[in-house]
Amino acid sequence: MEVWRIDLQKQEFQKEPTRETWQHLGGRGLLARILLDEVDPTCEPLGPGNRLVFAPGLLVGHMLSSCDRISVGAKSPLTGGIKESNAGGRTGLHMTKLGIKALILEGISEPGSWWILHLSNQGARFEFAGELIGKGVYESARLLLDRYGEKAAIALIGPGGEMRLSSAGIQNLDKDRVPSRINARGGLGAVMGSKGLKAIVIDDSGGEKPPIANLPAFRAAQKEFNKALMEHPQTRIYADYGTAAMSRMSNGFGGLPTRNFSKGQFQGVETISGEYMRQLLLSRGGESETTHACMAGCTIRCSNVFGGDDGKSIVSPLEYETIGLLGSNLEISSLDTIARLNWEINDLGLDTIEVGAALGVAAEAGWMEFGNSERAMDLLQEIRRGSPLGRVLGNGAAITGRVFGVERVPVVKGQAMSAYEPRAIKGTGVTYATSPQGADHTAGLTIRAKIDHLDPEGQVALSRGVQINMAGYDTLGACSFAGFGFAASPLTIRDLLNARYNWNVGEDILQALGRDTIKLEREFNHRAGFTSAQDRLPEYMRREMLPPHNAVFDVPDEELDGIFDW
Amino acid sequence: MILTVHLHTILQKETPEGLQNRVEVNMPAGSTLGDLLASLEITQHPDSLLLAVNGRVADIDQVLRPGDQVNLMPAISGG
Repeated sequence: MEVWRIDLQKQEFQKEPTRETWQHLGGRGLLARILLDEVDPTCEPLGPGNRLVFAPGLLVGHMLSSCDRISVGAKSPLTGGIKESNAGGRTGLHMTKLGIKALILEGISEPGSWWILHLSNQGARFEFAGELIGKGVYESARLLLDRYGEKAAIALIGPGGEMRLSSAGIQNLDKDRVPSRINARGGLGAVMGSKGLKAIVIDDSGGEKPPIANLPAFRAAQKEFNKALMEHPQTRIYADYGTAAMSRMSNGFGGLPTRNFSKGQFQGVETISGEYMRQLLLSRGGESETTHACMAGCTIRCSNVFGGDDGKSIVSPLEYETIGLLGSNLEISSLDTIARLNWEINDLGLDTIEVGAALGVAAEAGWMEFGNSERAMDLLQEIRRGSPLGRVLGNGAAITGRVFGVERVPVVKGQAMSAYEPRAIKGTGVTYATSPQGADHTAGLTIRAKIDHLDPEGQVALSRGVQINMAGYDTLGACSFAGFGFAASPLTIRDLLNARYNWNVGEDILQALGRDTIKLEREFNHRAGFTSAQDRLPEYMRREMLPPHNAVFDVPDEELDGIFDW
Repeated sequence: MILTVHLHTILQKETPEGLQNRVEVNMPAGSTLGDLLASLEITQHPDSLLLAVNGRVADIDQVLRPGDQVNLMPAISGG
């Protein structure tokens, strides 16, 4: 596998052998190593010194269930620190078929020019993207598929990325060519936009699956992992209810973000629950699907297609984080409305978590009434128009709070929290505070743990363990839900890696990868100027009591500061 | 004593009125969460469930009190 390097300014392309220190890494871990090696941590994120890197995880390329994710990274314009965001879809699979270990995009195009980067076994070429500029993600993806064929993989930005908004992501086609698998967090779409790159099209024809050093051993480990995954009780729940099953669970713990993170329970929770959604979709039929795979080969199938009254798809997928941030957080209790807001944000090419949090802050500032879905949609149209108000919102919750003088802003390191209230789920609060990625549940969610989530004791140790595992899974290219399959067959990670690469790693390889990754990320942030002062939740969460438990975040600072002293 | 039990995902039961997501249960004083699971004929292994009483994680030995709000949640890892 080789590194493909693209210079946007010179429009040059070269393939390089993978450096020795990069060879045993993939996904998030490889991004951390590359960014530390090649990017000045003090650089301007939207300037020529930043690099945008795509890296499939170590296990990507074999249609191993839930393990074909693509990590994208850069210095984040939202957090000012290191950023990795991973997504499903087909981009990772196609990159590995071309033998790409990492795709490094450096420099910026001539201002005002927009390009499509086409990758194939013939190498890389640039084509004009002018006709796509200003168009939404869904229309752009369709035009690109018409032009390059239905088999292409595409990673593209929307109008939000073109405007370099800090909530902009990069969207990938799923297995059904829907461009909704988004490297959402941290403004990576703005970095891509800053480089004048509208889309990357990957034609893997003529490519080959990555080699497997010991195929029988790989297949044996794959079989064991698949069996563990299929037999795990969580698989059925995710298949039937999707991630939306979390709505009532979070509400049950008093940790469902409500009314701009000021309450932990929502009166309208039943109609935004996974249980309700399942019944609704089954009754509507048509294009609605209660279970759906975002990646070919996934056996969990936690995704869905949310159809309206007429059975036609409104959006796919509709996920818990979106439901939390655009639903309870805005006191909107209609899944149809949330689905329409979700489609609109996808089409703008933005992160639903960041935009939902920004709208919550805007509502507190008086720009909309909580529960007023029409006004929420109007505000999204402000973003589409690129009005000053829209650009404020599109730059995320922190900027929105700053501009409108709101103190209650649910962010860490400038990035919005996901749909778990950290005062009620304190281990996840520790993750939000201390992850080098900023507030992000995928860095280490603790709600599954059998611990009193309201008790500050034990939360740092819990978060540490989960953060290490998650950084490991992100380095493998594994979905976090593959994690319960791996947890039930823990030696399969070692066996898969040894069989794939002819390595001789031990059974603690997941944790070793995770620890190394976090260490590299923290070093990048340290060099960017971060201190322990950034490893904190917003001050109001230590002071304002959260109903119904009247909880505050009370994990001591000194414990937070010691979390990575392993 | 009367308890309110919130049923999640696969524990919700089909009834002629639709899915039952909440039930009021009358249990003898001194009953534990384990007794409640047995009375509701819940067969899932307790390890695969997250059990919460009044919003706090609890184990099957926890003794219940009148008016407790109980959440019985087949465990999942998040969204």
